[in-house]
Amino acid sequence: MTIGKSLPRYEGLGKVTGQAKFPADYYMPGMLYGKTLRTPLASAKILRLDTSKAESLRGVAKVVTAQDIPGENGHGVIFPDAPILVEDRVRSINDAIALVAAESEEIAEEALSLIKVEYEELPAVYDPREAMKEDSPLVWDKGNILYHLPIRKGDVEKGFREADVIVENKYSTQMVDHAFLQPEAALSYIDETGNLVLRVATQYVHWDRTEIARALNININQVRVVCATVGGAFGGREDMTLQLHCSLLTWLTKRPVKMVYSREESFKAHSKRHPIYMKYKTGCTKEGKLIALEAEFIGDAGAYSSWSPNILRKSAVHATGPYYVPNVKVDAYAVHTNNPFTGAMRGFGAAQPPIAYEAQMDLLAKELGLHPFTIRWRNAFEEGSETATGQILETSVGLKETLLATAKAYGWDVEKLY
Amino acid sequence: MIGTKSFEAIVNGEQVKLNIPQNLRLIDVLRNYLGLTGTKEGCGEGECGACTVLVDGEPYNSCLLFALQVQNKNILTIEGLASYNNLHPLQESFLEHGAVQCGYCTPGMLLVAKALLDKNPNPTREEIKVAISGNLCRCTGYSKIVDAISAVAEKGVKR
Ligand code: FES
Ligand code: FES
Repeated sequence: MTIGKSLPRYEGLGKVTGQAKFPADYYMPGMLYGKTLRTPLASAKILRLDTSKAESLRGVAKVVTAQDIPGENGHGVIFPDAPILVEDRVRSINDAIALVAAESEEIAEEALSLIKVEYEELPAVYDPREAMKEDSPLVWDKGNILYHLPIRKGDVEKGFREADVIVENKYSTQMVDHAFLQPEAALSYIDETGNLVLRVATQYVHWDRTEIARALNININQVRVVCATVGGAFGGREDMTLQLHCSLLTWLTKRPVKMVYSREESFKAHSKRHPIYMKYKTGCTKEGKLIALEAEFIGDAGAYSSWSPNILRKSAVHATGPYYVPNVKVDAYAVHTNNPFTGAMRGFGAAQPPIAYEAQMDLLAKELGLHPFTIRWRNAFEEGSETATGQILETSVGLKETLLATAKAYGWDVEKLY
Repeated sequence: MIGTKSFEAIVNGEQVKLNIPQNLRLIDVLRNYLGLTGTKEGCGEGECGACTVLVDGEPYNSCLLFALQVQNKNILTIEGLASYNNLHPLQESFLEHGAVQCGYCTPGMLLVAKALLDKNPNPTREEIKVAISGNLCRCTGYSKIVDAISAVAEKGVKR
């Protein structure tokens, strides 16, 4: 039986001996090197794209632009709104414009510098609160608000009237990169049966496969995505980065292609943690019992949807924290801007709200002269509690035990703090 | 076109002789010419330590060295630390203490740890932290790595 035992990591031996193969550790005879041209602008129209000089450079096997994509030019974990290669409208800094496959990395790099792009710059918006306004530049013609989730429970107005103390504040969190230690890399080739094989570090093998098939306009059974050893991910490998690019280059050249990002390109290519602008109003009685909570979350989705709706939903669901509040009003929005797109990162929207709701708890405690432990203890979820979304917590609610254990470890005299 | 030059060194105990472009980094020679892909690139600019190798017993970032700078030196990469069936005590200890997660920092961590213990077989936790301070790990939170290294130090194992 293995339950209750610490087992050695099964792939550990390979990792301590340097034998574990991360995607950049694969090589194939005759392979080409792929590189990506990215835009330095956040919002623009492409007027002209000239790849002729790059194509005629010795050692360049292929230059690929949006026109060369055999299938659909879009990808995304919920909506396929991120372009594989921009056709005409740049919506975010670092959008990919063209790809090069060449006999060496140096040649590929040089070819990128020979591609001429003429742009018309367009107005951009970088703050989701601005992007919600009527007169904001539009990232998408259908409007910038990607998602809105209202949660209503009880009657907050009445709750605030009954409150003895009310604390009201604004909080915001910043954009964060996962900075997994292994920058993106991939190797793709056509196998002996004519199928496309891609070795890559990914969190979403089957979805990568679906989207590659859609982009290449081939059947899903013609694509094999093999997950190499993954050098950290933390959510940042859920969206596609070089998977589609590498596959396209192989499919169009019929040769093995390797792509390896520098750290800088890694930062440019993958998602980020959502900056969220939060407004909180929290009321409680003089005994320290929460009675009303109103919260607004405005999350910066960046230009492309990725997981934004699901993430802002999670923020909204966690708005009260692990505390029972009878009257709740929450509005969570995911809003497009021309910033880099945001997506999954450890916590998935649950990491930002605690900064606000826990600060509110401390401030309420201070107003009432209560110990920070006491106010939390008096409101903590326990078995049978009802959350703001009406869920009854039936089992496994370990909060009070955890609070006690931590308080004791701190040396607090909990008997006096209940 | 950049000219080539002859490069000689001892890599993991074996004499190596190659003709290489003069501007090649040590990491590229190891990975692309010698197939020693256990040496990892995390940043390419001396920040992360994933590319650490030992040059005459001292840890170096192989992304910051031209191969020709280590002409005739003795180089140890992760592949030379031990064989599959005969692990170095540090490798065993890393596995035992859960100091390995994704494994991308692991080769570099093991090599700086070896360099430390070779010089100072009984380091304090503080000394261990200083020794690994040039190596980033995004997964473990470091404490298990420090545990793994100090466990070897306490056993007084030397190799
Ligand atoms: S790759 Fe050399 S220090 Fe990061
Ligand atoms: S184990 Fe992943 S970076 Fe250290």
